[in-house]
Amino acid sequence: MQASLFYKAQVWFRGSKTERHGNVMKNFQKGFKKHFNAYLFISPFFILFLVFQLFPMIWSLVLSFTEWNGLGPKEFVGVQNYVMLAKDPTFWTTVQNTFLYWLVAIVFVLFFAMMVALLLSYKPLRARGFFKSMTFFPYVCATVAVGLIFNMLFDFNAGLINEILRMMGLEGVAWLTSTSLSKIPPMILYVWRNTPWYTIIIMSGILNIPADYYEAATVDGANVFQKFFKITLPCLGDILFFCFLTLTVESWKIFAEPYVMVGPGSSNMSMFQYMYQNSFVIFKMGYASAIGYILTMILLVFSLIQFFIMRRNGEA
Amino acid sequence: MKTRLIATLLAACTLASIAAGCGGSEAPAESSSAAPESSEAEAPASSEAGTPAAGGTYSGTTKYPEGKFVFYGYGQPQFMLEQYQLWFDMHKEATEGVEIEMIQCEGGEDARKKVTLTYQSGAMDEMPDVVQTATAQMMDMAKNGILMDVTDFLQPLEPEMLDGVTGDVQYDGKMYALPDSFRPQLLFYNQEIFDQYEIDPAQMDTMEGYIEVGRQLKEKSGGKVYLSFASPSQKTWAYWGRRGLWPQAKARIWDDEGNVVFGSDEGTKLAASTLDTLFKEDLLLRSQVMQPPLYDSIRNGEVATFYIGAFWDEFIRKNTPEIAGKWRMMTAPKYEDIGLRGAPVTGMMAIVNKPDAKYADLFKDIWYDYMFTAEYRNQHAQNMADEDGPCWNPISKALSEDPFWKSPDPFYGDQSFKEMETVGLKDAAPNMVVTSSDAEADTIISDELDRYIAGDQDMDTTIKNIDEQLKAKIGTAKN
Repeated sequence: MQASLFYKAQVWFRGSKTERHGNVMKNFQKGFKKHFNAYLFISPFFILFLVFQLFPMIWSLVLSFTEWNGLGPKEFVGVQNYVMLAKDPTFWTTVQNTFLYWLVAIVFVLFFAMMVALLLSYKPLRARGFFKSMTFFPYVCATVAVGLIFNMLFDFNAGLINEILRMMGLEGVAWLTSTSLSKIPPMILYVWRNTPWYTIIIMSGILNIPADYYEAATVDGANVFQKFFKITLPCLGDILFFCFLTLTVESWKIFAEPYVMVGPGSSNMSMFQYMYQNSFVIFKMGYASAIGYILTMILLVFSLIQFFIMRRNGEA
Repeated sequence: MKTRLIATLLAACTLASIAAGCGGSEAPAESSSAAPESSEAEAPASSEAGTPAAGGTYSGTTKYPEGKFVFYGYGQPQFMLEQYQLWFDMHKEATEGVEIEMIQCEGGEDARKKVTLTYQSGAMDEMPDVVQTATAQMMDMAKNGILMDVTDFLQPLEPEMLDGVTGDVQYDGKMYALPDSFRPQLLFYNQEIFDQYEIDPAQMDTMEGYIEVGRQLKEKSGGKVYLSFASPSQKTWAYWGRRGLWPQAKARIWDDEGNVVFGSDEGTKLAASTLDTLFKEDLLLRSQVMQPPLYDSIRNGEVATFYIGAFWDEFIRKNTPEIAGKWRMMTAPKYEDIGLRGAPVTGMMAIVNKPDAKYADLFKDIWYDYMFTAEYRNQHAQNMADEDGPCWNPISKALSEDPFWKSPDPFYGDQSFKEMETVGLKDAAPNMVVTSSDAEADTIISDELDRYIAGDQDMDTTIKNIDEQLKAKIGTAKN
């Protein structure tokens, strides 16, 4: 494979610059003519991508070097927004919070999704359709509506959670009014809401594992744990990796949960929320764009890791 | 061939829909003076003798152009819709063919956001005719020519309005919004609790007495009854600070040049130490405002008073009807040495400076009748009372004297809420100076105060942190 590539490169370099350029253009034209219909079919996506994604991305990069309140003239300020972000304690609090949300999401969502998926794939389970529907229920509930209910559940004075704690002879906990604990209710809400989606994905993976493997393992006298660790988990490797990456991207963009279940100050604020606050509450569009770009860089790093790992595994 | 045709059509449709969606029909007006001229030219609205600007009320002879009158509102805009609809019903011939459309916004920032995004897209015909706003957002929009200058209309009416009403609608010496309410800070208190513990509510005329009452309540109830409440997460500054203790103590965020003086201001120290006492002595119940648990606490007699804007009336009326007859009101407490009570809140609606602002005069007519015409205003107030909807005092001096606005209210044991709204304005503190940077300043102050309330830092550190952050992030406030 490597030798073949080396040979191709040698042939390519042997030609003059004009020749090389001509060849490239010729190949492109040939390919374009040959697959013209295909290009036409995929053009709507690229047109929409250019207008609604690429252009705003470039525009917000430009904005991140300006001071602008959404109205009136923009003032070029160079990298001042990025320098201010580095010194902004609120920004660093939101980075820490978002990191924690990501960590909790990865650990708990994937753990619960795996457990529920295993339970739902358990053959002797009766009324599986009903349980599947019930499992998916949290995902179809509006986050804001559920967030309001969670606000009531976690209220210090009259919330159900504290009532239960008090009935057990414990002290009520300041879930949403303490800076150290205010991240917990949005985390619980996030895990509760997102577990069903990943359950479905993992369950589809479990159902695709050939039954022969388990039968052979049973014959060999493997117990439940051995089957899980030696068959199920390795077979789900790719799916779990996909879940990890999508969950990573999603959890770094967490917004609705901490937005609805507001804690004291910025104690449970996410990066995305801080970006929103800067753009649409105090109208510092340049500053908000800079936050957006830092978030993009973080997500880009994760995506690159994904790309390299998949390439290493021969999937890309 | 067929495949290519389908693919071409698909691509063309995508391009066409983008072009249609992004096409702004008219260019935004370049200056704030452009639209009023065109509005006068195009809108056959009430003119000369019929205009409120000329000192009269709606003449009843004008026919407004057919179309949709769109307004952006927040809070409970459905009641504004009712208010406008009532006016339409009272002027059927003039408003025939005109529809009203209400767009609900989350708050002043959201309204400003929606207006900004529409303005930036260039789709001026998608802009509302009128937008509910607040001073900081109004200033931003006025500065950029989005709002209509209404100085010529409003200024002649100033002598007929309560003192200070137009203070918050001004920017750069001009008026850019029509004030539709001017509501004081009031002290709502549970008379039953005061009777039960034999405490004289009159002590609460001063801030010093108010704190003393809190101590007595705590002691006599064994800690069950709190003096009042504090809503964590950005509401403490809004309710206790910006409209309450800070203006009462003559505290400042900025000096006259816009420099940050929060950390060194004597007024700030006084207001902050009062808040510190209330929290340190555990006189305030921590509960989110406008949420069921707080209403439960009211029903259970755990909160004795509410030191808050008069708007609170409509919330307790609607959410805790069981307390009818048990609560009373008095003017907000004042510092003995300073003598100022809480600062009033000005509600305002601004006319958008559209190139063909065809409903500008329609809105001025509605506003004028709402402020100065007893028949329309009183009818609307009665409707609101029947629905437990919001109702606030008129800003017209003459209308405030109308007996209707002093009528007794069974909800407060026949004390008149309507009258209290006007009485509450007596000795009101002037509002703190608002600049374009105040929205950001509010988030900085709120965040640090919340950390104080959560017990992460003491009040001195809080003030120091606020001062440092204001200086680092804003520096000098912009007008």
